[in-house]
Amino acid sequence: MKRVIVLGGGIGGTTVANRIRKGLEAEVAAGQVQIQVVDREGIHAYQPGYLMVVFDKMRPEETKRDESGLLHRSIQLVRAEIEKIDPAANKVVLKGGKELPYDVLVIATGSVIHPEAVPGFTEGAHSFYDLANAQKLRTAIQQFTGGKILIAVAGMPYKCPVAPLEVTFMLDDYLRTRGLRDKTEIHYAYPIPKVFGIDTVAQPMQRLMAERGISIHVPFNVERIDPVGKTVKGVEGETIPFDLLIAIPPHRGSDVVGASGLGDKGNWIPTDRFALKVEGKENIYVLGDATNIPISKAGSTADYEAEVVAHNVVAAARGESPSARYDGRVYCWIMTGMSQATYIKFDYLHPPHPPTPSFAHYWNKVIYNRTYWDITARALY
Amino acid sequence: MVVDARGSWCPGPLMELVRVIQEEAVGTEFELLSSDEGSRKDIPLWIDKAGHQLLQITNEPGFDRFIIRKSHA
Repeated sequence: MKRVIVLGGGIGGTTVANRIRKGLEAEVAAGQVQIQVVDREGIHAYQPGYLMVVFDKMRPEETKRDESGLLHRSIQLVRAEIEKIDPAANKVVLKGGKELPYDVLVIATGSVIHPEAVPGFTEGAHSFYDLANAQKLRTAIQQFTGGKILIAVAGMPYKCPVAPLEVTFMLDDYLRTRGLRDKTEIHYAYPIPKVFGIDTVAQPMQRLMAERGISIHVPFNVERIDPVGKTVKGVEGETIPFDLLIAIPPHRGSDVVGASGLGDKGNWIPTDRFALKVEGKENIYVLGDATNIPISKAGSTADYEAEVVAHNVVAAARGESPSARYDGRVYCWIMTGMSQATYIKFDYLHPPHPPTPSFAHYWNKVIYNRTYWDITARALY
Repeated sequence: MVVDARGSWCPGPLMELVRVIQEEAVGTEFELLSSDEGSRKDIPLWIDKAGHQLLQITNEPGFDRFIIRKSHA
């Protein structure tokens, strides 16, 4: 019997496991292939929903489900904490000592936020990169009556690179609706000399900010936050005061990656950007936030990568050549208001060209969010 | 240290550079590969602002190669 183990029950881990099962349906049914998903809690978080929670567009409970209900019934869910991966022995070691041998391993352990890495972050900043903090930010925004709001990136890399733009535009729209915009300054600070990483996106976003009276501070790399004096000091020397700070926390790869000797300094896994294999490891794939590929750490990235990994795992199990290649495809919506959006779609060879923001693009995002659990996560397409 | 940021449209090659420069020691040289035409303007601008050294820019077929040295912590 061949054993396929998937580490992580997020978007990447869940979709890849369900896709592999679909591709090897007969082999799994016959007991020739066993698929296991290992996840610490067994609760699947739909992280793109956290921003929607901040603005009351999703309820907190809509952002999570029990993983067992998303995986096909023939996939075994192992709720356990991983101690380390032992690539030399082809096994995963769980906390407590239990070992799971594998023939093929898929690492989908994601990224982890580290707000404590920035002095003053935990005490002074709001964020929306986990559900509890998204709910706190929702309350803070509801209680806000005017003043200076600062949106800043406090470390890189961070998942969902467009999120700072989205929260800025949604906040602007939300405050106008509440009649508070003329009592509020919105300041957007970004680590490079423009509001986003490349011109095709930065230029239209910068135009929108100008139209909406949003102040821009670039380049601005957060050095420390003073939660008492309510200021943020940047590496470049500028200090920006705030009444409400929304900051993006630094991210690192999972500690399991570091403990297994598979990661770089940030615990990101050196990955063949086309084959999605861990460099130097023939039977270990990696997808989603866990890779070191320099593209968006985002749900769509993980989903598209899962197609490639599943195709190749299925091919190899049947003795065929694992020839599918990931082309760098990513698709992300960018909320440009409470009920309008644009999107970026790109691959390694083709940069994005976001269309004019519209209600239709926003509605597509809403539909995706609402059908995620029953279509994407279950790999029904 | 090679930073192959070709095809990095989001977050973008400069964001990759800012990330790795923070992680490495003073004196480290980086070879950044970028297929984004905007990098020719952005990277020298940021290097200048951040106080690091841009040692060389080479135009290759389909991408540019930047050699950068980290000058301070």
